[in-house]
Amino acid sequence: MLNQRDVRLRFERRMWLFQAAVFVLLAILLFRMVNLQWLQHEGFMLQAEKNRINIVPILPTRGAISDRNGKGLAVNVVSYRLTLIPERVQEMKQTLAQLNALMQWTPHQFKRIAKRIKHARRDRPVLLADKLTWQQVAPLSARLHRFPGLNVQAGTHRFYPYKELTSHLIGYLSLARSGDLKAGYLHSEYVGRSGLERTMETRLHGTLGSQQEEVDARGRRIAVMKQDPPKMGEDIRLSINVDVQQAAAKAMTGRTGAVVVMDVHTGEVISLLSLPGIDTNQFTLGLEQQQWQAWLEDERRPLLNRTTQAAYPPGSTWKMVSGFAGLRHHIPLATGSTFCPGYVELADRRLRCWKRTGHKRVNLHQAIMHSCDVYFYELGDKLGMESLSEEGHLWGFGEATGIPLPPESRGHLASGLQTLHNGRKHNWYRGITMITAIGQGQTTVTPIQMARFAAAIANGGDILKPHLEADQPPEIIRHVDLKSDYLKRIQEAMFAVANKPGGTAYSRLRHAAWHIAGKTGTAQVIAMAQDDDKKKKSKIPELDRHKDHAWFMGYAPYENPKIAFAIFVEHGGHGGSAAGPVAAAIVNTMAEQEEASP
Amino acid sequence: MIQNLRHMDKTILLCLLGLMTLGLLVLYAAVYHGDIRIFEKQVVFWLLGMSLFLAICFIPLRTLGLLAWPVYIIALLGLALVPLIGDVHMGAKRWLDLGVVAFQPSEMMKWALMLILAHWFASREPNTLIHFFVPLTITILPAALIIIQPDLGTTLVLLFAALGMLMVSGFAWRWILIALAASPIVLYGLWQNMHDYQKGRVLSFLNPELDPLGKGYHVIQSSIAIGSGGFWGKGFLQGTQGRLHFLPEQHTDFIFAILAEEGGLLAVSILLILYAILISRMLTIASHAHSRFAALLVTGITSIFILYAFINIGMVSGILPVVGVPLPFISYGGSALLTMLAALAIVMRVAIESKNQIPWQRPSSPLS
Repeated sequence: MLNQRDVRLRFERRMWLFQAAVFVLLAILLFRMVNLQWLQHEGFMLQAEKNRINIVPILPTRGAISDRNGKGLAVNVVSYRLTLIPERVQEMKQTLAQLNALMQWTPHQFKRIAKRIKHARRDRPVLLADKLTWQQVAPLSARLHRFPGLNVQAGTHRFYPYKELTSHLIGYLSLARSGDLKAGYLHSEYVGRSGLERTMETRLHGTLGSQQEEVDARGRRIAVMKQDPPKMGEDIRLSINVDVQQAAAKAMTGRTGAVVVMDVHTGEVISLLSLPGIDTNQFTLGLEQQQWQAWLEDERRPLLNRTTQAAYPPGSTWKMVSGFAGLRHHIPLATGSTFCPGYVELADRRLRCWKRTGHKRVNLHQAIMHSCDVYFYELGDKLGMESLSEEGHLWGFGEATGIPLPPESRGHLASGLQTLHNGRKHNWYRGITMITAIGQGQTTVTPIQMARFAAAIANGGDILKPHLEADQPPEIIRHVDLKSDYLKRIQEAMFAVANKPGGTAYSRLRHAAWHIAGKTGTAQVIAMAQDDDKKKKSKIPELDRHKDHAWFMGYAPYENPKIAFAIFVEHGGHGGSAAGPVAAAIVNTMAEQEEASP
Repeated sequence: MIQNLRHMDKTILLCLLGLMTLGLLVLYAAVYHGDIRIFEKQVVFWLLGMSLFLAICFIPLRTLGLLAWPVYIIALLGLALVPLIGDVHMGAKRWLDLGVVAFQPSEMMKWALMLILAHWFASREPNTLIHFFVPLTITILPAALIIIQPDLGTTLVLLFAALGMLMVSGFAWRWILIALAASPIVLYGLWQNMHDYQKGRVLSFLNPELDPLGKGYHVIQSSIAIGSGGFWGKGFLQGTQGRLHFLPEQHTDFIFAILAEEGGLLAVSILLILYAILISRMLTIASHAHSRFAALLVTGITSIFILYAFINIGMVSGILPVVGVPLPFISYGGSALLTMLAALAIVMRVAIESKNQIPWQRPSSPLS
């Protein structure tokens, strides 16, 4: 054991050593610098001044992204950039004035260009403008000989022909940031920031090539020594059918929401539409801060990909999950019937059916066809929260689908509240379970999950991984075991929804080109006005943001399913009338295309 | 209050002023043909940093001691969160997005580790097994989390700074040798966890001429820039290596090459002298600190400064692999500058508190 005096002495000795180490390190550096800057100075000077190898990177062309029919969704278009080497210009003022007349810059642009030239090195090309079209540079190219030092260079930039239509799916690019530079990107390169541009960055990007040039002290090229050509980025063909996406968008005009269409056998995503979109071309063209801010602050949240990143209450589309659970657990009601007087009484409260006058006697088929709430309140009450949640999980809810567009929302499955025991809370808990059975309450799902659910109903219970690329082998994540008779019952009820008088989507879908089986959903945004008649007297107009969300999910053709879809209209009102027509538009487009090319 | 300001260490303030001037000049030279806003931003960072510096000078050291564990745990949690929810910058996850600002937990961890180690060593007798392994664990845990980001430079700084503190804290040499002997194992784990681009950098360091147009390019070009600067330099804004874009990352990690090319050995010597004065002044403050905690804390902070400077200049001049650490007070970057100024402010606080006090357990003091 050391005494304090020794401790102090030892500390001082060590500090001295530490200080010595520091000076050794500094001395090493100084020695190295003397070596480089003094002793080897001549040699380095020669290397620097006379004979230098300048490595000029050659950018690979980024891979294009097309839809399944080869229509370009992200393409490269030729554009031009204008550069000027200041030291080769004799009368800068005059030259700039002439250029200004030809290019018709705005005063603001002109000011910026003048400032850039003023601050630039005189012997290096200064970028005056980029992403110019041929029309813009044509008058200049003809007069280039009159402008020594001016140069027009051809290159490419990214262009998204479908703009808003594919903005969430394809994503956008922006100039490399410091983190990207560390990973080997160049300052002038663009990097995928969202959507597939980001997910498939490595494949789309390709590999940089380079050209070794001998240059003089002023950076002028003397000779090209060696060329290492770049490896072009891979072109990617998606499973998306942009015509279907366009038809869906047209049917959704003015709405906010999401449309997912999926192949029921392969899991290929045929349409992935989130509205409103943004014009992603504005990113590659140099996004104005103002525009970005406007998108960020827009109440309709155009930057959000509603198909995968947002989860919403499923409303009545959840009734199939409850129905499956009822059948699986052999609840007598699932094969029997009940009487719907328009409400269910629970202690001192009433849970209403959407149809105030009631559906009278209903069985499972009718309850789905007419979307009776009371039937499912009772079914849910008998099933309990756990069974409902388990069934939801089986069908792929509450988990990410694995679509290659991270980050993906998993949604949420309402689960049991076992901690509550006393009587009153028990009734409350029952109430929660009952509304969960009709798709209200805590449960939320993403449109992609919903489309996958519809596909699984159509294909006999296979939960598929959604693919975005064409010609990928299907991946079955799980098979939901269910008696085929039970599946058939639900399918028939979904058929009735769209094709039998009285079905909730009958009026909108009976004339569709294919027979559609589906289910409407109207998810309440604010709590259901139970017995509260006072609210009705309120003079405050119903705000749009309090309007219900509309759903329609299903598949077609009923007889031989090909596609499944989920349509979600934010604050769209009733599922059948708001989302139904979109399904018709999708199915009609698919049918038309199939007829055109058998 | 005013007392505090008057007791500030003038030498450190003067060094800081010198480094700021030099740093801003070099940064201007590095970016003026490119994005001049980088320079303007750095000026703002300096203003912010100096305010932070002044503010921290008023925080009593006792408070810092209390903060040691919480700060360390927050930094550790932050590091653990990075692989889960961090922002990916092409292959490396280092940042946490806190909404308003992106935050780099590894940056915080360096200082948190110095704080916690100083706190640990200050109140304990060295040379027992437990008091050896606890600090070792405290160090290895964040180091491992930073390796997997992967961030080689910060990991090395962390490990060497911890070693420095181990030494100053008075452990017997045999313990320190054990720690050193363990380092090959750590190095092996490090290598296994490195990204290909980092492995490439180490390999190219070992033999840059092998692949002069590939990975070794950075080092060769920066060596040419430095060597061609000569004694007097090529003059302010007259460098050609940076201008011709031969230099990579010339406003961040490779900024030293610009200084050496345009300012020559003269400017390099000025920088090294400024560092030498600053660091030896910091060590003097450590020696005269009024408590063992303060002494160790200042030593730890000093080790980080010297390691930064040494690794950065070493890599730019080709005697160390390119690992990517900033040059203190010279490289562009807000979070590095702010944390370094904050750390220096802690040293300043120690100087203020220790003024007119007897250094801890000095033999001549009545305490012994």
